[in-house]
Amino acid sequence: MSSSSGLTFKLHPLVIVNISDHHTRSKAQTGRAGRPPRVYGCVLGVQTGRTVEIFNSFELRYDPVEELLDRAFLETKQEQYKKVFPKYDVLGWYSTGSDVQDSDMLIHKALMDINESPVYVLLNPTINHAQKDLPISIFESELHVIDEVPSLIFVNASYTIETVEAERISVDHVAHIKPSDGSSAATQLAAHLTGMHSAIKMLNSRIRVLYHHLASIQKGDAEYEHSLLRQISSLVRRLPAIDSPKFQDDFLMEYNDTLLMTYLATITKCSSTMNELVDKFNTAYDKQNRRGGRTTFI
Amino acid sequence: MDALDQLVAQVQALSGSEQDVAHLSSLLKQADELLRTHALRLPFSLSSLHPTKHSLGYLYLLEAQSSGTLTREQSDSFLALASSFLTVCAPEQIRLAPDKFNSVCRRLRDQAMHLHEPMRAILPLQCAIRKLQPSSEYLTAIHADYLQMCLLSKCYKASLSILEDDIFEIDQKKTSLVPRDFLLYCYYGGMIYIGLKKFSKALEFFQHAITAPTTALNAITIAAFGKYVLVSLIQNGQVPPFPKYTPAVVLRNLKSCVQDYLDLANLYASRNIAEVKRCITQHEEVFKNQDNNLGLAKQVIASLYKRNIQRLTQTYLTLSLQDIANTVQLDDEKDAELHILQMIKDGDIFAAINQKDGMVSFQEDPEQYNTCDMTQRLNNEIHHIVCLAKKLTWVDEQVSCDHAYLSKIGRDRPRYDEDFDLVPQKIYTNI
Repeated sequence: MSSSSGLTFKLHPLVIVNISDHHTRSKAQTGRAGRPPRVYGCVLGVQTGRTVEIFNSFELRYDPVEELLDRAFLETKQEQYKKVFPKYDVLGWYSTGSDVQDSDMLIHKALMDINESPVYVLLNPTINHAQKDLPISIFESELHVIDEVPSLIFVNASYTIETVEAERISVDHVAHIKPSDGSSAATQLAAHLTGMHSAIKMLNSRIRVLYHHLASIQKGDAEYEHSLLRQISSLVRRLPAIDSPKFQDDFLMEYNDTLLMTYLATITKCSSTMNELVDKFNTAYDKQNRRGGRTTFI
Repeated sequence: MDALDQLVAQVQALSGSEQDVAHLSSLLKQADELLRTHALRLPFSLSSLHPTKHSLGYLYLLEAQSSGTLTREQSDSFLALASSFLTVCAPEQIRLAPDKFNSVCRRLRDQAMHLHEPMRAILPLQCAIRKLQPSSEYLTAIHADYLQMCLLSKCYKASLSILEDDIFEIDQKKTSLVPRDFLLYCYYGGMIYIGLKKFSKALEFFQHAITAPTTALNAITIAAFGKYVLVSLIQNGQVPPFPKYTPAVVLRNLKSCVQDYLDLANLYASRNIAEVKRCITQHEEVFKNQDNNLGLAKQVIASLYKRNIQRLTQTYLTLSLQDIANTVQLDDEKDAELHILQMIKDGDIFAAINQKDGMVSFQEDPEQYNTCDMTQRLNNEIHHIVCLAKKLTWVDEQVSCDHAYLSKIGRDRPRYDEDFDLVPQKIYTNI
């Protein structure tokens, strides 16, 4: 069921990183035995009109035996954060898990005295490689009539990710270091080149789409749209940035240098294959058992 | 009806579809004896057959006709017939009888040499190569004959199209090739490239001849090696060591057969022109009469001058003509100037001669590598290498799966890998 409140939610990556970090830490602390425990915390942000922007979060102490949130702790934390970030309010809370549970409603209701309509951010820590989206869902509470009993239930809300420049740097950093632990120069180069390759591939496919569209306009299959053509024309005129003969010379020289490197690389690869081939051929067909390298001529 | 007329009728009838032609080829194989006994009547039968439609039958008859010794007009007419046949025959039909085809081509070559007209054989043999090859990467037995004709008639350019095809496939069943043809192909190919002054390609060909897998030393290999030494002195200034894949027989025995060339190579390294000249006159008999290499030997001397001048460019920025003449042991200034002019024209050095005061200033290579042509050239080369790399990996895989290789590996493995369980050798050796 999706939310009908009409609020737009914007989530900052810092929150996601915080939640994931909290979860990983507690998982590491409990060790490998058993399922990782659920973690809980508050989310902070600003609500202006219909837009709810979630900037930050902090952790809460939860007693699993008593099933009680530590209210005193929450209040001290809230005061401290208010001093540093006066603009931020407690907008809701977060937790980890694969789906909403019944006990969550209790916590939700408990937070209602701080914020009349809190949001619930849920992170699914199970890694699913097939899934392309973020495993994060945002829930709101709504009063629905079910079996003639009005009750509060969670409804799913859509959200977008919003980044500030500073956050972009950290996200980039995390995204690139992650594939290998102790990344050597080779893997970093491979990661860099893969990123470049996918970026160029995407550029290529987008340009191809534009090209096909223009071709179909020319043929008469699509309609002649002036504003679109103006945009395409301004895009095309962006490159080349400079066009002087000196630039051409330098550019071509660098281009040829890179080509020379590629040429050298391909020749090296070829020579190495050839070397292996010759070794195999010698072991297979040579009657003498020659284990040495080249024999000198004189 | 006579047996021969029957055969001719069968040829005419069965030259239609593929199965008919296959049937015909088996019939013709059995009829070989018959054809030979009726050799005199063959020209009449030949005229009733069409060379393109009945290529296979025509081939057999032609071959039988030319099997004995021929008189002068007979060989003339044979030459004419064979030339026209080779240019118009149908490739699918003749590929069914490659050995007969090869012998017809060989006869053609013999007759052309006999009549001292090697040029007549060039075009027919070129067409013959193209028709027999399933693709341009196959080597045929006719390659060697063709190159020999081009050499004898000095038509080097004509052979370039055949020489420039890279050979990747050798298939004895399709082309009925013998190793001698391969060696001859490399030897003649190298000689043609020497004639065209493309010494690096000539070196490649001679190296193929030397490193061809063999179990006994071949006279062709020895001759190729002699030329190899001379050409590598001209091109590179030194003779490289044998590559890894040279067969052991060649390694052990070759040096003893070519002592004169090795002496020359040693003296070349000393860069003393007088010594080199003396060595050549000393061994002139060997160079000239035995191997016809005297022209090459003279080119070696010329290259030594060039190399000495090139070494000067590394030491001096400018030098006077007189000094150059003295250092390089040339006779006088005029000689030095001529040499340097020639080298500048050939692109061997970059220099400017100031005639007023007789100074030569050496310059750097002006190539900046910043043109679109260079980009284009590099791009093409990279594509070429990538294709070659693909072929190489394919051949590598083939050798890895080869029975001989696996059996040798299977035997060696238990000695070196203790972690693995004993390799079940039976699996490999009982295929």
